[in-house]
Amino acid sequence: MNSRLSGPVAWLLALIAAATMIFILAPLVVTMVMSIGTSAFAAFPPRGFTLAWYAKVLADPEFQTSLVFSTTLALGATAGALFLGVPAAFALVRHEFPGRGAAAAALLSPLIFPVLITGVALLQMFALLNSNNTPFNMLIAHVLVTMPYVVRTVTASLILADVTLEDAARTLGAGRWRVFRRITVPQIAPGLAAGALFAFMVSFDNFPISLWLADAQHNPIPILIFQRVASVFDPSIAALSTLMIVFAMAIVVALERVMGLRQAVAI
Amino acid sequence: MAAAQIDTASASAYRSRAERRREVLERLIPVALLLPSLLFLAVFFALPALGLVSYSFLTQTPEGIVGLPVTLQHYQHFFGTPLYSRVLLTTLRISLATTAAAALLAYPVALVMSRSPAAIRRVITMIVIAPLIVSVVVRTYGWQLILGNGPTGILNWLLIATGIAKTPVRLLYTEGAVVVGSLHVFFPMMVLPLASALGKIDPRLEDAARTLGAGAWRVFRRITLPLSLPGLAVGCGLVFSLTAGSFVTPAILGGTGAQMLGMLVDQQILVVYDWPFGATVATVLVAIVLLVNIVSNWVLRRREPEPAR
Repeated sequence: MNSRLSGPVAWLLALIAAATMIFILAPLVVTMVMSIGTSAFAAFPPRGFTLAWYAKVLADPEFQTSLVFSTTLALGATAGALFLGVPAAFALVRHEFPGRGAAAAALLSPLIFPVLITGVALLQMFALLNSNNTPFNMLIAHVLVTMPYVVRTVTASLILADVTLEDAARTLGAGRWRVFRRITVPQIAPGLAAGALFAFMVSFDNFPISLWLADAQHNPIPILIFQRVASVFDPSIAALSTLMIVFAMAIVVALERVMGLRQAVAI
Repeated sequence: MAAAQIDTASASAYRSRAERRREVLERLIPVALLLPSLLFLAVFFALPALGLVSYSFLTQTPEGIVGLPVTLQHYQHFFGTPLYSRVLLTTLRISLATTAAAALLAYPVALVMSRSPAAIRRVITMIVIAPLIVSVVVRTYGWQLILGNGPTGILNWLLIATGIAKTPVRLLYTEGAVVVGSLHVFFPMMVLPLASALGKIDPRLEDAARTLGAGAWRVFRRITLPLSLPGLAVGCGLVFSLTAGSFVTPAILGGTGAQMLGMLVDQQILVVYDWPFGATVATVLVAIVLLVNIVSNWVLRRREPEPAR
């Protein structure tokens, strides 16, 4: 702690901050601890040590189907969000044009709108259009919720990139596309990677959109967990949740390495 | 010689035409870059949202077909039925309590975060942000384990083991449980804008106040708090609207003990199949969220901080 926070007040602040950190970590740690107990109910304190619940989850065909579907969906959504979001971010940061503020607001508006309601609205539209292709409907919906995150992260990294390098390349006669490919992309590559990772996780974790559009054959993991929280009481949900936590932490580390977590989240 | 002159003349005419073409191109590029994403948003976001709102003014036949006549009866039904008014009030109460709790806890965390050495700052930032990447369903399940009503719920087990309580306390399926869960889920949305705002405050202002004899509380109240107001406004707007629109946390931690608007939408559409009424509840929810965002934007505009030097 530096000189700007000192004395009893600083200790009080530090104490509250430390307690808050415990509050933040508690449900994650608890879930991990519960996943290794031997008793047939997720009860505290856990007794014994076993990895049997993990074996049970991994061998569960429903989980396997959900994992494949969630992963495919998240990859598709990420690709779609990058395809739509990167050019948009580029236009917002590198071009002056009337209505730029409005365009930026429109692109980020799905973040303000309640996601749950976005989901119902899409369900209504797909029902009206008789669009019964669940994977297609879900892909559209997931691109919609992940795109604003890509726009935000890539915008942040474009603002940080050095424009003078692009100007220099153009002065030296490089065409627009060549400048973009050889100068801009290498500079914002961390931002693109972070945006892609973030978009993947937003889709992989999403519940409130999938709630409306999923069906029994296309059941993403968060929906599977939600259904089981209400019906299964053994620690296999804790094991499944722990797998999700560990995967998320791997992504957190990757984001921190690639771009810095704070910049990647861009709040 | 004459031929050469004609050549340069035509060349310059050519150049100016090329320049004009380039200018038009220059103006078309951002349009071309933005068109796919804005078109996508118009078709799959704006259009369905308007469609949903319009359903709330229409009538559904017993066969489930929605159409004319235009009516306000769903809104009358919503605001005139005590059960639904209670859900609305519960939603507002839980959102307000979550926002207040988040603001109270976020100030110490954001202050420590923005005024600490880099290493501590980094650890706190990681702990604050990391849960954002973990699915809400997973985090809420963790809270269900902690708040369990039986003696094997972790908090109850602790209360009994330490002798504070003799029998298990009812924690789960209460509004308090939903507030705790929502606070956990949306806390980063309060801390991060607040930490940004705090980081922009000129440290000399606080130092000057302290040198002039102001106590810690007074410095906070007269300098830190007013200057961090933009961050607080953003944080409060985000936490309130996200909590008001949440589904997972009240569904798992609140159940019938704390029903919120999101659960009502789900129930009306997926269980009762009453599209117009579900759309009405959804529209009320959207109106609340938009109102909160307008207010927080207004505070932000009014209190635009001077650029940090």
